[in-house]
Amino acid sequence: MSMTTYILRRVAWAVVASLIVLTLTFMLLYFTPDTQLAELQFQAAQAGDDPSEIGEAYESYYGYDQPIHVQYVDFMGNMLSLDWGWSETRAQPVTTAIADAIPYSMMYGVPSVIISTVLGIAIGLYSATNQYTRSDYAATFFAFFGLSIPDFWFAIILLVIFGVMLGWVPILFDTSVAIFSLENAQQLILPIIVLTLSSIASLMRYSRAEALEYVEAEFVKTAKAKGVEGRRILTRHIFRPASVPLATILVGDLLGIILVSSYLIEVVYGIPGLGMLSFRAIINQDTPLVMGTVLLPAFLTIIGNLAQDVAYTVLDPRIDYGDS
Amino acid sequence: MSVDNDPHGSAGAGSGGGGGAGSTSETFEDVDWEKVDDAHRSLSLKAIIIASIYTVFAAGVIYDYVIKTPGTDTIGTLGVNLQALDWLYILTLLSILCFVVVPLYENKRMTRYYWRQFRKNKAAVVSLIYLGIIFVIGSIGPRFLDRPTVDPSSAYQPPVFMSVEEWMPVECAGEVSGGRCHGTWAHPLGTTHEGKDILVSVIYGMEVSMQVGLIAAMITITIAAIVGVSAAYFGGWIDAVLMRYVDIQITFPTFFLYLMVVYLYGGSLFSMIVIFGLLGWGGIARIVRSEALQRREEEYVLAAKNAGASSFWTMRRHLLPNVSNSVITAVTLLIPGLILFEASLAFLGLGDPTIPSWGEVIASGRDDLQYAWWISTIPGVFLFFTILAFNFIGDALRDALDPRSEGSGE
Repeated sequence: MSMTTYILRRVAWAVVASLIVLTLTFMLLYFTPDTQLAELQFQAAQAGDDPSEIGEAYESYYGYDQPIHVQYVDFMGNMLSLDWGWSETRAQPVTTAIADAIPYSMMYGVPSVIISTVLGIAIGLYSATNQYTRSDYAATFFAFFGLSIPDFWFAIILLVIFGVMLGWVPILFDTSVAIFSLENAQQLILPIIVLTLSSIASLMRYSRAEALEYVEAEFVKTAKAKGVEGRRILTRHIFRPASVPLATILVGDLLGIILVSSYLIEVVYGIPGLGMLSFRAIINQDTPLVMGTVLLPAFLTIIGNLAQDVAYTVLDPRIDYGDS
Repeated sequence: MSVDNDPHGSAGAGSGGGGGAGSTSETFEDVDWEKVDDAHRSLSLKAIIIASIYTVFAAGVIYDYVIKTPGTDTIGTLGVNLQALDWLYILTLLSILCFVVVPLYENKRMTRYYWRQFRKNKAAVVSLIYLGIIFVIGSIGPRFLDRPTVDPSSAYQPPVFMSVEEWMPVECAGEVSGGRCHGTWAHPLGTTHEGKDILVSVIYGMEVSMQVGLIAAMITITIAAIVGVSAAYFGGWIDAVLMRYVDIQITFPTFFLYLMVVYLYGGSLFSMIVIFGLLGWGGIARIVRSEALQRREEEYVLAAKNAGASSFWTMRRHLLPNVSNSVITAVTLLIPGLILFEASLAFLGLGDPTIPSWGEVIASGRDDLQYAWWISTIPGVFLFFTILAFNFIGDALRDALDPRSEGSGE
């Protein structure tokens, strides 16, 4: 099988996975008793109206009286055309609410991804080339610390120490400051630290393990023997072959960690990003917004995994396009 | 493994007696292979005991859900009422007993070898002891301690040996001296803003964390082993279908799927564990499959097949035991993630509202951290060390059990 066919097939699978997620969402919604309807009927009964009449009007307004397959086609059509419904609590379309929230998530997400990628790989490579030295042990210890510390707990501890006790950073997130200003950097520093710590650990461990496979490789020994300088060996002979599998963890696994971590970080620090939007929607029982904010990370994960597999195929010429 | 070493002297005498050539010694033809086969395949005492343990368990479940009147306690006279989650936990512990503890006890030589390897990693040994203590306290404590209750009069009590400003607690349970309220042994780790005892909450949280980790791990191992080994053994379309399904499932964002379920149906520990267990096995199934694919080509599997072993027998006796090492390592590294997930959801208030969990206590002390640092800090420390311990043990197991890791230390 050629590379193109493989990639096309992989894309097709991503589409299938997305359709399954959407179908599952539809089924969950379809078979759940509608609390909004029950509320309306209760109000109608209290006012002396006929609850079943209200129910019918409500159902025909939202199209819930249609047979299941019509509703399903409708739902899928709306989802695909990015008509994700109306958020009652925010009085705006779901897609607009999401578009408003994304910049806030990116503000700390992007710097954190860059820092953890660069630092994580650099420390991992250093650990691998200086295996079993004191700095390697220190890096390993740091990685275990980062892997094990509950990010939401670490976030509140940092906030209390640096926000409340020392007063170095503001406690409440202020949305009115300019994006590229000192104040904004000040209030984003803690979220960036927490998110970086939770994503850097796995990158460090992974790049260390990958680089170790090449530290003792024949071609590295040859390069050393003919007198290639250390830095060139590191970048040309160790980093290059190790970067292929590293590129894959970057997209897929990192995305998963960041999406979940950011949810908690935003709630702790009060950042009005995607996670906070979703959390508020759950608390306020805003169904279309919950669906939108939960489905978006789901699609991002699917796309991330797709990108990971495609990157692997393009970057690694050794890959086998067989059935596995 | 079991066909390699024959415990019965008959076959050994047959092959070893060739040199003597005496007429009295048993020859190869004399060996009653039927008998040898029977000794291997008939139900041993151990198998009967394991089967009967599971039968008793199944009978208990049937009694609880089918026979007895719904809504009453499981064992009325003792006031014990088992929920679905408790039954799953019992099943998990039984499985650990039958498939981990018993085999380790039976194969003392291998156990000692693994222990020697494992012992090299001091951090992992400490971690194991720590988790053992958490497990024992978490299993016994909730049986004897009442659930932490809301008691506004005893709010904000500091931990023992600590003290806070006198105005903070509503009523200081300990002695007041110099304008400061001192902690008492009545609440060794202090209380929350609602007056819930933190020690009791932490002990209940131990059980929750162990349940999350162990039950989800059991579900994961069971499904991953069955799927991975069947995919590798049968190959062809079975392999294709199973692995394509894994491809899809791995891209499923379990956390967000659970958020949706919580939103629509309300949170419960049972549904959380089942969802994580049922959707989290994809990666391990891949590991099992790739390991089993290598094992399938080994001589002993071919020998077993040539000798007429059934598919089930080959998978059960030859493939499964040989992939178990990598499965155990992968699962040990999966458990901390699950415990962290549970704590995160409980922290967000999206977990099980009826069960005191570490994440919930951390959330309850979040706003008071400056004045009452102990509320969030103490359960957080327990959570941190539990996750750390599983990570250390997983790492040590990888070094001890995984033959591929030799030398590199990874």
